[in-house]
Amino acid sequence: MDNIYLPRIVKIEDIYEEAPDVRTYRLVFEDKKHAESFSFRAGQFGLYSAFGCGEATFCIASPPTRKGYIQCTFRKTGRVTSALSELGVGDAMGFRGPYGNHFPVEEWKGKNILFIAGGIGLPPVRSVIWTCLDRREDYGDITVVYGAKKVDDLIYKNELSHWEEREDITLVKTVDPGGETPDWKGKVGFVPIVLEEAAPRPDNCVCVICGPPVMIKFSVKVLEKLGFDGDCVYTTLENKMKCGVGKCGRCNVGDVYICKEGPVYTAKEIKRMYNDF
Amino acid sequence: MNKKLLRRDRIGLLIEGVIKDGVFIAPSISERQVVYGPVKEASEITFDYIIPRNSFKDFLFPQTEPVARFKAEKDAVLLEEVKPRPKETVIFGVRPCDAASRASLRSVFTWDFKDEFYTKREERALVITIACTKGDDACFCATVGISPEGSAGSDILLRETEAGDFTVEKVTGKGGSFIDAHPHVFEDSVSGCALKEIFNPEPIGGVNLEKIKEWLKEKNHYENPLWAELSRKCVGCGACTFVCPTCHCFDIIDEGTYASGERRKNWDACQFEYFTLHASGHNPRDTQYKRWRNRFMCKFNFYPEKFKSIGCVGCGRCVRVCPVRLDITEVMAEISGQPGQGGS
Repeated sequence: MDNIYLPRIVKIEDIYEEAPDVRTYRLVFEDKKHAESFSFRAGQFGLYSAFGCGEATFCIASPPTRKGYIQCTFRKTGRVTSALSELGVGDAMGFRGPYGNHFPVEEWKGKNILFIAGGIGLPPVRSVIWTCLDRREDYGDITVVYGAKKVDDLIYKNELSHWEEREDITLVKTVDPGGETPDWKGKVGFVPIVLEEAAPRPDNCVCVICGPPVMIKFSVKVLEKLGFDGDCVYTTLENKMKCGVGKCGRCNVGDVYICKEGPVYTAKEIKRMYNDF
Repeated sequence: MNKKLLRRDRIGLLIEGVIKDGVFIAPSISERQVVYGPVKEASEITFDYIIPRNSFKDFLFPQTEPVARFKAEKDAVLLEEVKPRPKETVIFGVRPCDAASRASLRSVFTWDFKDEFYTKREERALVITIACTKGDDACFCATVGISPEGSAGSDILLRETEAGDFTVEKVTGKGGSFIDAHPHVFEDSVSGCALKEIFNPEPIGGVNLEKIKEWLKEKNHYENPLWAELSRKCVGCGACTFVCPTCHCFDIIDEGTYASGERRKNWDACQFEYFTLHASGHNPRDTQYKRWRNRFMCKFNFYPEKFKSIGCVGCGRCVRVCPVRLDITEVMAEISGQPGQGGS
């Protein structure tokens, strides 16, 4: 395609209400030929448009191992996400992508994987979790530490239950102090603290982390204390983007264009960047 | 090719030929200022100018342009692709600094993904530059290594003669073909026409581009209090970015209604607070000095390091339009004078 700003039409096939103001859309390309040829890698993102309002950037929340559709999960926060929230099943949206780099899951074969996510930071991590679960024999132990402010704010609730039932994945779920309900069976505490208690072993382990900046900051400190090397800790950076293709000039962190060279980086790489977060 | 001469009274003929199916851009007076704009006849052109108020990027990367159109039907959205189909555009009377900025814009719009809205326009543009015979206090091309008679980015370079005509230097093959296609305009020159003296500015004392580059590379200098100090008076109006020939930031927005409208690419500026503002309220460049630092870094670090091209051509427009007289060359000098390695 010559016009790099031209989106593709996608239709909303299904809608899942995840949490207050948080929705997941299952999307299929209107153009059947494009739907067949479309592929992406876990960690890549796209620009989703509500026509008449504009575009917003989210990761692709479904795993590349599931063909024929993509999912995005977003919280109604700004102008575009509010307009997207007005849409219903069968409605058309725009999609451009996939853009950016990806989590190198192929390189992780044989390793244990630790996933850490907070709140609405779970969608990009979830794409990787399912990629690994769909190729379960390729990986060692899989552990997920996931927290949100309140029980109600936890997203993918059905999947959390499913992961709890499965033998081949360990889920540690938590809510911030005060966010628990009387029947809450998970932990109560901030993600970094719960992580420290769980004390995952760093041997042969890679970690994928995504969530609010403050959660990432303190979790990375805990990981360092536990002996994790900065090379083995991956995160996905989120910045305001408009073009997604390295032109519009706003997602850069110093000389690094997140949309082109990112959004996936190791903790070690982030340490080398200009402090522009 | 023999030496050619362009007589001033033949420029009208040139315009006539070009505007049959193209556009002729030249410096002309608009609202008491010299600006690059479309002209229909030679009398509209002004030759008495130092540099037009706007940069010539306006004609390669317009301030606003549609990239798609949409229309909502009952159960579908009809999407129409906009194909850029620019006319042949001759940009005449360009200054060497502006012409030199072409490589910078091209590097951003063509690394990896190609922005055909830029490339198609550039393919159809012909740049005829006139070497500078005068400058003003804001000009600083020599400081960034550009000559007032430099030919980088030009297809044809003209030098003014004492008689007010122009000697013609072919710079690119495209320029050569254009000259050949207009034999009645570009005539063989009889040797010995005296040239007006070329403007010969001194580089600004104390500015050292290599030192600036090295100082900026040092990551701990990013947090240096100098940034806030030097940019304190910036009011964030963004005027510098709009007149800058290498500033390329833009926004993509929908205009119209949910029923029908256009998706447009509009100029934007890294000096605006909302430019990097996340929907969550977080803003990585939440204060003006961080935004100012970004622009300076973009010119003297990102462009040279990332795109291997020049980020500032010394046209001096940002100095002329700044409402608070924040002079980028003063900052360049200040940073050049900073202690190097590790000092902060």
